[in-house]
Amino acid sequence: MADSKLTVGIADMKMAQGSGVLITYALGSCIGLCFHDPRLRLGALLHIMLPLNMEAGRKNPMKYADTGIRETLKQMEAKGASRSRMTVKIAGGAKMFEISGGGGLGNIGQRNIESVHTILKQEGLRLIGEDVGGKVARTLLFDVVSGQGCIRSYGQKDIIF
Amino acid sequence: MTLKSYDQLSSLEIDTLREIGSIGTGNAATALSQLLDREVRITLPEVRIMGYNEAIEWIGGPEAVTAGVLVKMSGHMSGIMLSVQPLEFVNIVLRSMFGTNVTSYEEMGELGQSALVEIGNIMISTFINALSGLAGIDVDLTVPAFTVDMQGAILAVPMAEYGGMSDYLMTIGGNFVCDGEQVPCHLLLSPDLRSLNFLLRKLGVSDG
Repeated sequence: MADSKLTVGIADMKMAQGSGVLITYALGSCIGLCFHDPRLRLGALLHIMLPLNMEAGRKNPMKYADTGIRETLKQMEAKGASRSRMTVKIAGGAKMFEISGGGGLGNIGQRNIESVHTILKQEGLRLIGEDVGGKVARTLLFDVVSGQGCIRSYGQKDIIF
Repeated sequence: MTLKSYDQLSSLEIDTLREIGSIGTGNAATALSQLLDREVRITLPEVRIMGYNEAIEWIGGPEAVTAGVLVKMSGHMSGIMLSVQPLEFVNIVLRSMFGTNVTSYEEMGELGQSALVEIGNIMISTFINALSGLAGIDVDLTVPAFTVDMQGAILAVPMAEYGGMSDYLMTIGGNFVCDGEQVPCHLLLSPDLRSLNFLLRKLGVSDG
């Protein structure tokens, strides 16, 4: 995975077709989702932060699992992608800090994982790989041609999936 | 006016928060100075209202590995306070306390880690004590949590916690200068919006 990398920020999504590697850095409780249509060699990388969009204004759909996944699907389908061919891989949802008596803090990762699973199922998308939970941050790279993902973490070996 | 988003803060309100930051970090610097037995000053404290990706760039990029001490506030005010400690800061602490130096976080051992947690905790508690004294409010703090990881993911903790309310991260904080040497150690306070409104009312700068 060399050449040009396209960076996906927080609450952001980018697409590439034909060639290119998408990258998103330092996923903590956030989740990175790699959408791939192998026939079109089309891929999208989405970086969501929260499980459900309950904002009134809905200015930033990519911040949330539900609206983020649906918006990404819409944009991919506009380029001719088909759900029956499409596959999804996800990474993230870690718990960065272990807080005693901290209430809900730190559970956002777990809630993100559950929400992503539910919405992928609702939308009829196939989840073919995941590396979620745990306590470490992940940087996620995604090759839009091969559909291969790579996860970098601090103090650990890279994971190819 | 009750704030609905961090970017609605007026310049008077920002000035007030900067003053809080100044007093908070000033007290934290005094505590740090006593602990390390060295002169510690603060740089001009800042109040920053940043978009997520802007905040990550500001702290120095997403993938750089740092130590982070996190304390959660509750009571009259809820929010998160973070002490982000890059390796240079870790070495200043270790040199002053144990006379050792490390080239990576793996080398610092359990004792070094406890020292970092304790220093982070003391700086955070001193900051919050100054703030609660000034505003006349009670704030409870959790036991400090510690991690060493990519700083982007550490900074994303307050973002995710308050992300449902705003597209911005607000931080109040400052840097430290130790024996004339700039120490890249951030002390960051991120209150939730309700608490921020409450705090501003208590300080008499919001008529809401």
